[in-house]
Amino acid sequence: MGRQKDKSYQSTVSRQYRQLMEQCKINLDKMEQELPPPRDDLKDTLKERGVSRRDFLKWASLTTSALMLPPMFKPLVARAAENFSRLPVVWLHFAECTGCSEALLRSTYPNVDDILLDTISLEYHETIMAAAGYQAEACLEKALHDFPGKFICVVEGAIPMGLDGHYLTLGPKGKTGLEVAKEVTSKAAVTICIGSCSCFGNVPAAKPNPTDCLGVGDALGIKTINIAGCPPNPVNFVGTLLHYLMFGALPPCDSLGRPVWAYGKRIHDYCERRPHYDAGEYVEEWGDDGAKKGWCLYKMGCKGPYTFANCAKVRFNAGVSWPVMAGHGCIGCTEPAFWDSMAPLEKPIAEKNVIGGEVTVDKAGAALLGVTLAGMAAHGVISAIKGHKPENHD
Amino acid sequence: MEKTDIRFPKKEWSVAVRINHWCMVSFIMMLVITGIYIAKPFTYLSGETYYKFLMGNTRFVHILFGVGLVLIFIWRVYLMFFSRFHADFKDFFAFTDIKNTIAQIKFYLLVSNKPAEHKYLYGPLQSLAYGGLMIMLFAMCLTGVILMGPAHSAGLTGFVYKLVKPLENIMGGLAVVRVIHHILTWGFILFGFVHLYMAFWYDCVFQEGTVSSMIAGLLFKKKKH
Ligand code: SF4
Repeated sequence: MGRQKDKSYQSTVSRQYRQLMEQCKINLDKMEQELPPPRDDLKDTLKERGVSRRDFLKWASLTTSALMLPPMFKPLVARAAENFSRLPVVWLHFAECTGCSEALLRSTYPNVDDILLDTISLEYHETIMAAAGYQAEACLEKALHDFPGKFICVVEGAIPMGLDGHYLTLGPKGKTGLEVAKEVTSKAAVTICIGSCSCFGNVPAAKPNPTDCLGVGDALGIKTINIAGCPPNPVNFVGTLLHYLMFGALPPCDSLGRPVWAYGKRIHDYCERRPHYDAGEYVEEWGDDGAKKGWCLYKMGCKGPYTFANCAKVRFNAGVSWPVMAGHGCIGCTEPAFWDSMAPLEKPIAEKNVIGGEVTVDKAGAALLGVTLAGMAAHGVISAIKGHKPENHD
Repeated sequence: MEKTDIRFPKKEWSVAVRINHWCMVSFIMMLVITGIYIAKPFTYLSGETYYKFLMGNTRFVHILFGVGLVLIFIWRVYLMFFSRFHADFKDFFAFTDIKNTIAQIKFYLLVSNKPAEHKYLYGPLQSLAYGGLMIMLFAMCLTGVILMGPAHSAGLTGFVYKLVKPLENIMGGLAVVRVIHHILTWGFILFGFVHLYMAFWYDCVFQEGTVSSMIAGLLFKKKKH
């Protein structure tokens, strides 16, 4: 606090922000010149969808603060949003369930994030494009040809590496996922991995991982921005793209490639049930009194303490709810290999089966302790009966 | 009075090692107790949420003693190399003397009456157990610091967390770190019981005052040294 009152500190900070803003304006100008014009006018789209200008501005200030920028960036965020549909995007699908696309593009009450995603300039998206077969292939080639080094490659799904990548073949030419990924990401401006599958392998890569799936970054040895989650929050994806539009660069990331503004803190740090955790009030059983009172889900296997994400802050489905609020513990879906490392999902991590079967750490430990105690007792009694003594000891 | 009953005191443990030992005992006991609550909490039912802080306090105590244990561990490692009385880092390798080790195992299994020669500060199996304890302590402190990091992102903790974060990623995330921390706790519990038993057994079998040696620092030998 003391430092904030410091005048020179404050002036430095505001100078830095002003510089950042200049940079941001220059970058937006550049984007507007270089990239194709927006596909739809955002103002019209919003009006059609019944979102007022006021709602849009509210969203802009929310997003500004979510991106951890000061309020003076609000107009720039709004401007970036208006240019959102300029960004050419190639969206690839590999080993996954398409749940991320579903979660991002389909919502009952779309808010501005969802609308932005609807207007996104998708050059290629296997699930929703009308083209098929050779025609689809032509779309992809056209995009690579028209916007080399300019388009954003969004990858959804892990890449199977086994059999030389032949566990996954795509398209009329029967290319492997690995080939397609290499070809497209090498020409993209940036590669954004959406969903834990493309970030870290996730469910396709869960033990025993028969197809040798890997996350995109590991499979290709490239640097990717990882919007982890199963599925991830649209806000995190949109925010990252807005950041790219505003600053021409991707936001700072943690050591696992996840943007810090979204994945810098744990679920547990933001959770609304946290006071009950600290108080020692836990749900002991589904539907018990504690559950009705909204107590902490730690004993029902909540993995919030081990999971970095902002679900508690931004929530899902236009901010309606999120898993812990709905009454089920966090399953840790933004962490690498969560399917294996977070198991059992509905029991505390202390009850993990390390050896296999039903043997938990505590059972194994208690059994070992029992054996040790019995052994010690027997050893003591026999020593006493035998009158065990050392010979010629100094 | 028989002559053989005359014993000569020999200083075995320096003051620093003795203090360090008892600090470690009390801190580890405190940490195991609070740790078990953190791993398997019970619900504290009576009263209103706003004046309860059971888990919060338990975690505070756990972290406080945990940081203490890190310091005690660093102190012990320092003594291992730089103790003015007896720097004992070589004694942790007493088990490498295979002949001696086999003799000791036979003696422990009550099949022979010839214990290992007393060449080092520790017996061969003792050295193995204490070496293992040092490794466990290191792993425990490390996983503990990693688990402490994300909740306190400022100050020294934040700084140390940045240093250990790559290790967290190598281990596979906080959940795995937590499981390792939990498994190691059982290692400490087992070590504690076996250590206690062996100390008493030594005291009875050798009759040199093993148990009191960690208090007064003296072992009572038959021959003068
Ligand atoms: S419900 Fe989960 S995230 Fe929330 S306080 Fe409890 S353990 Fe932490």
